[in-house]
Amino acid sequence: MHQGPLIRLGGLAAALVLAATATAGCARKSDDTATAGTTRTPAEVKIALVSGGAHPYFQPWKTEAAKVRTDLGVGDVTFNETAAWDQTKQNDVLKSLAAQGYNAFGVFGVSPENVNATFDDLKRQGFPVASLGSCPAGDVDKADFCLSTDVGLAAYKAAQAAIQAMGGRGNLVHLTGNKVDSNTQRRIAGVQKAVDETGGKVKLLQTVTDVDKDLQTAQKAVADLLAAKGDRIQGIVNTAYNPAVAAAEGVKQSKLPIKVVAIDDDKAILADIKDGSVAATVLQNPVGQASVGSYALTKLAGGCAMTTPGVVVDSGSFVVTADDIGAYDTDRQAKTDELRKAFDTRYLTCK
Amino acid sequence: MPLWANPRLGLLILLVALIALFTALRPAFMDVTLTLVPLQSDVSVYAVVGLAQLAVLSLGHMNMAVGRMAAMSAFAMGLAYDRLGVSLVTGLLIGLLVGTLLGALAGLVISRTGVNSFVVTLAMDFALVGLITILYTRFTDGVAFGGLPAGMDALRNDTFADYCTGDVCGPEISLVVPLALVAVLAVGVLFRFSRLGREILMTGANGRAAELSGIPVRSRVVQAHALSGLLAGFAGFLLAANNGAFSASIGDAFLLPSFLGPVLGGTLLAGGAVSVLGTVLGAGLTQVIYKGLNLLQFQLDQLNLYIGLVLLAALSLDRVRHVVADRKGARV
Repeated sequence: MHQGPLIRLGGLAAALVLAATATAGCARKSDDTATAGTTRTPAEVKIALVSGGAHPYFQPWKTEAAKVRTDLGVGDVTFNETAAWDQTKQNDVLKSLAAQGYNAFGVFGVSPENVNATFDDLKRQGFPVASLGSCPAGDVDKADFCLSTDVGLAAYKAAQAAIQAMGGRGNLVHLTGNKVDSNTQRRIAGVQKAVDETGGKVKLLQTVTDVDKDLQTAQKAVADLLAAKGDRIQGIVNTAYNPAVAAAEGVKQSKLPIKVVAIDDDKAILADIKDGSVAATVLQNPVGQASVGSYALTKLAGGCAMTTPGVVVDSGSFVVTADDIGAYDTDRQAKTDELRKAFDTRYLTCK
Repeated sequence: MPLWANPRLGLLILLVALIALFTALRPAFMDVTLTLVPLQSDVSVYAVVGLAQLAVLSLGHMNMAVGRMAAMSAFAMGLAYDRLGVSLVTGLLIGLLVGTLLGALAGLVISRTGVNSFVVTLAMDFALVGLITILYTRFTDGVAFGGLPAGMDALRNDTFADYCTGDVCGPEISLVVPLALVAVLAVGVLFRFSRLGREILMTGANGRAAELSGIPVRSRVVQAHALSGLLAGFAGFLLAANNGAFSASIGDAFLLPSFLGPVLGGTLLAGGAVSVLGTVLGAGLTQVIYKGLNLLQFQLDQLNLYIGLVLLAALSLDRVRHVVADRKGARV
């Protein structure tokens, strides 16, 4: 009865020893089997747009995927949101898509600090890779390019809009997402910069992080904040989606004279701008990220190269108030067209 | 025990059947670089995660802080590599020490106060979530350590096929596989052959009886939890190697898989019996299902639904096999 496990353990031990001896004294093969340099016609290009997980922000990617396919005449464009905000799962998803024949990747990396390793993996297989919607942390971008909102700049614009709505003085609160995320750090710095520029007239009363997990968390945080300090706050700037919705709602209900600046163009937020409970919102350009990103990926697959590999391109951010609520989509389309031209003339070098 | 009544065999057959099914549906399942090698790395990580939970399941305890212990160990390793510039092995040992101490601390609280392990480790998990955020914000730009030791890239990218003597190269096996195998082997030997392991299992089966037989029950509890912390730390290292960074998010997704592997493999939640090989097979099964469904390109909701359904089917099949074995009078 005891022989079974002994044999089993013996077998494992033998395998281990074999593996160890195989490594010892062996030389590493000179280089890996990267297939860089393969050029593909548009019809051979299969683009995968992979988000970090499910989030309203990526809905335009989904709709854009179908449109891009016909516009660019590529073999296939798929959208995948199954990474569930886990870098390990996202790596799996990417490799599975590659195994399925997808050969160009637009990726919103789950964790900006790990994602360079993921990009490296894909590049080693010879695939063009775009970091879409979020750039890797630090100064290095291992993807071919990063096309994303300059989150620091967007936060700066949002804070400026809030300060303006507050009449240039008073106490401001900043609500944002996951503290251990380099993008959040950039947002915090952006808001701080706008506050510093007021020369002390506006004080940053508090920065509340980690309230973007879900709407409930955000609602609770806003309720607590308004109960504790509501009468001392003149403005709330939001740089994440859930707190923006929660803050607009909370301020409306409490009837406090607080100016709220939101993010993105969710229906609820647009309605709040119209009825005046939200002073302004800062829009990003997910449509442009998906369409221009796919365009550049197709070009790269076709033999073009990046003039500066790893270049960071701002996909644009727009402050929208009740005055220009009708016209913002035109601005966004114009920015998208401009981006596409910029890729043709500046960022891409084609033979 | 007849061969067919062996739970591990059932898992193995299911595993082979699923692999055959997925390969038939998607030949890309057999793609070495893109499917099989990453699969090995994932199974390695989650097998060790499962063992970390198994170490305390042996007592009938739970470790709800398994992910956060991994994260703390990974933080210690990252700090050691980045700031002290230590070698791969030294950093690993430092991290493992941190994991072991955290586990031992949990064990100590449980054994001294008699509070349920679920409560103690859950509280510890909460405390560590906060601590990890504070530490990463204090010691890094807020997210991850930049400096990686020499050899980390090889662990991540290479297989034995990259190493050759003359024309003979190794098999397409990821370098992290033998590392995980060491853990599997060590835990297997501990629970199967060592006095310590048997005493832990006896403590799990019946603490009072164990105490009356002269087993130092309290220190066995501390030791089992320390082992859990050690293995959690090791899993953190393997995941950091796979992902290419020591970051705050390591271990976030460990909790559920840590139970899945052992439970699928036949480890009792009540304590007193463990199956190390079953845990490895359970982890393998979970990852194969995940990979297969990924390749079939299910959308998010369907993916979760089918993972749940397949796991439920696997557990039910196992149960059926148990019942049949019982009826036939076989001892399982």
